[in-house]
Amino acid sequence: MTVPFVPKILVLATEKCAYPGADAVGKAHQEYPSNVYILRVPSPVLFPEDFYLGCYSKGIDGVLIAACGSDCPYHGAYDRLAGRIDQLTSRMSAGGLDIERIRLTAICTVCIKAFLKEIAQMSDNLQRLGPVNRTLAEQLRRTSIERLQGSTRSLQPAPALQGVL
Amino acid sequence: MSTNDKLNSQEHSQEDEFPCEERGCDEEARTWQKAAHAQLRGNPTEEAGAGAPLRIGIYICRCGGNISDVVDVERVAETVRLIPGVTTAKVHTFVCSDPGQHMISNDILQENLDRVVVASCTPFLHEQTFRGAVARGGMNPYLYEHVNIREQASWAHKHDPEGATAKAIRMIAGAVGKLRFAQPLEQIKLPNHRRALVIGGGIAGMKAAADLAARGIKVMLVETAQKLGGKLNQWGRVYPSERPAAVLVAELAERIQQDPNVEVLLGANVTEVSGFIGNFKVAIELQGSSTSTPSRKDATVGAIIMATGFRPYVPRDGEFLYRAEPCVLTMPEFIRFFQGLSGGAKQIIFNNRSIRRIAFLHCVGSRQLDGVHEPGADGRLNTYCSRTCCTTILQQALAVRERFPGVEVLDFHQDIRTYGSGEENYYIEASKAGVLFFRYDGSEPPTVQPTSSSRIKEGALTVAVKDVLTWGQELEVPVDMVVLGTGMVAGQIGDLIDQIKLATGEDGFLQEVHPKLRPVEVAVNGVLLAGTAQGPMNIAETLAAAGAAAAKAASMFAREDVELNPYVAQVDPTRCCGEAECVTQCSYEGALKIVEMQLDDEVIRRAEVNAGLCVGCGACVAVCPHRAIDLNGWRLDQYEAMVDGIAADLPSTACASELVNIH
Repeated sequence: MTVPFVPKILVLATEKCAYPGADAVGKAHQEYPSNVYILRVPSPVLFPEDFYLGCYSKGIDGVLIAACGSDCPYHGAYDRLAGRIDQLTSRMSAGGLDIERIRLTAICTVCIKAFLKEIAQMSDNLQRLGPVNRTLAEQLRRTSIERLQGSTRSLQPAPALQGVL
Repeated sequence: MSTNDKLNSQEHSQEDEFPCEERGCDEEARTWQKAAHAQLRGNPTEEAGAGAPLRIGIYICRCGGNISDVVDVERVAETVRLIPGVTTAKVHTFVCSDPGQHMISNDILQENLDRVVVASCTPFLHEQTFRGAVARGGMNPYLYEHVNIREQASWAHKHDPEGATAKAIRMIAGAVGKLRFAQPLEQIKLPNHRRALVIGGGIAGMKAAADLAARGIKVMLVETAQKLGGKLNQWGRVYPSERPAAVLVAELAERIQQDPNVEVLLGANVTEVSGFIGNFKVAIELQGSSTSTPSRKDATVGAIIMATGFRPYVPRDGEFLYRAEPCVLTMPEFIRFFQGLSGGAKQIIFNNRSIRRIAFLHCVGSRQLDGVHEPGADGRLNTYCSRTCCTTILQQALAVRERFPGVEVLDFHQDIRTYGSGEENYYIEASKAGVLFFRYDGSEPPTVQPTSSSRIKEGALTVAVKDVLTWGQELEVPVDMVVLGTGMVAGQIGDLIDQIKLATGEDGFLQEVHPKLRPVEVAVNGVLLAGTAQGPMNIAETLAAAGAAAAKAASMFAREDVELNPYVAQVDPTRCCGEAECVTQCSYEGALKIVEMQLDDEVIRRAEVNAGLCVGCGACVAVCPHRAIDLNGWRLDQYEAMVDGIAADLPSTACASELVNIH
């Protein structure tokens, strides 16, 4: 028996906007697929590239970054986030991971329709794309970590503390 | 034994590795459970979490059926009990109840739990509740994790109970993973500025200011207009006491002006708000007189009370012929006109016409229906009931009949909602006084048209209605005046919504955290709601809300310090190399800097966080090549562990084991 493909979606929802927005969807008893998982984050700006790639390597088919947009309570965080996601998207594209697997959007505390639309859209796109290539994602994740570590002058902590590690 | 106790799940024996099989569940569920078990057991994060094995307690809430009607909570408990480190998994009908909370603190003491998960409603409702319960059991409250299986599972997947149950299990697995990397945290203490800002000098703001001042708390009361009293200055007598509104205003104003604790700023607007509970920085613009230029006043306050009020609904041009015909008035216009009539007036003269018949229309701008009413300029329909218009209409109708018995009064309603104490009397008295009632169906509201020439003598305007009380008779009644029972719409407070990060409901009014449990609080700590800024209320309700907001603010000031969640960045000095990648990403002056420190004979450079200035955005976390900086309570390894939990139904992969290596 073949099990039909149901894409697994991770929503990174900001604590001030999208998470209460997702709550509003539940409170309104509006339904969306149960394979959508919502994680509360202060701001998704905290995630390095390898976190997203790690999600794919673990079998998450799509990541929806539901942020506050211009309502972001943290100064400068949204612009940084947008820049980071831009870079991630181009790396995914170059590495062969479909960029429809990631999406940055703004969801407000009462944006019930917008939330449902984003979920429906991503589900449709992922249904068309099929399951994520986890091996490829894992390769990209490793490359990303190497790049991050290689970007600095020294790879090792100060000698005085090496014994502590 | 209480019912709740009886409903508690029994402790299941750990020997039943797959209790699901014994219960004869279907094949699919069993397969899933086995796969989940294998994954959870082999969770690589287990080895990474250092120290003695954990003792985790998991509490799953039925929410009286809100959760358990969809999610199979017993199966959730049975499954999550299999996760290594979980020693207890119990189901309770209301974990938030006193017995529920007691169960948690008791278990912590009896079973030496060192981590607790509650799977219930949204964390915005009860995360604090359960942190409190955990603390009472002697555990660090930050070793607690909240899982939202109501808003995000049972309510959102009502027609997919199997999926909702599986999701609840994975969410809890994620929370357990997160707890493996949790560290005990201490709240950050900051000085509490014992002074409140009340925005709005209407009846709500005055009451809140008077109550706070009576408790010895300094208050700044800021009002846009040049006098206190707000909307009440426009009304005559107020129901149900029938006292003049002016007396109410004068009494409160006197209390305020005599109290040295209150500083009243008239002709003033709050233009800037930043900061947080106990430490809000506010800027107030004072208009000054017409000759002087506006001045600015800065202050630090500990709490902010939003008493910004409502706006009366203003009908669109042409709505019931408003602004097209002079004799169509809104309720505030009518009240001002009617109370302005001279005491000796024998008849009502308006617009040079003798008024012999008045029609009052209910629900103008309230209880609007999609497809029946036109949305306002903001695209919104006012679907709510404004709650005060019915009694106001009956009060005014009665006043007309009592003063001018020769004037006929007609009342067109879809329902009559005189719900408050003493308000039903207005309906009874108005009926006795000969007010004539017509009832329409909400989808077919009455219309107002100019009267045809044949009946013009009976009145210039004709109200047409399909009257439900006479089994749908279509009636056309000429009248001289139409009074629109206009409702309330949300006040306009401009930038304050964004600056304070206030939530508004679909109706545009400011939204409380919970209508019953936290009715005057908003999601931003230290900001409280008083009166109609929150939604339609009558004066009695407004005063009750304002009193509650004042009491809540006063209780906040009972402490010398404010305690904030310790969700700020933290540097691991054993990993940090002082490369300052993080510092380049920080937008907050002074929150993150490189310091030199002496270690043995060597001077080393390390990043250092100023917890008072760090806002906890996490912009610094992503760029550190050594993972030396993390956000307390929201660490990267915790997020990775949560994703592991969510991905738990998939077969374990080689790549997963590598995850630990870069930590």
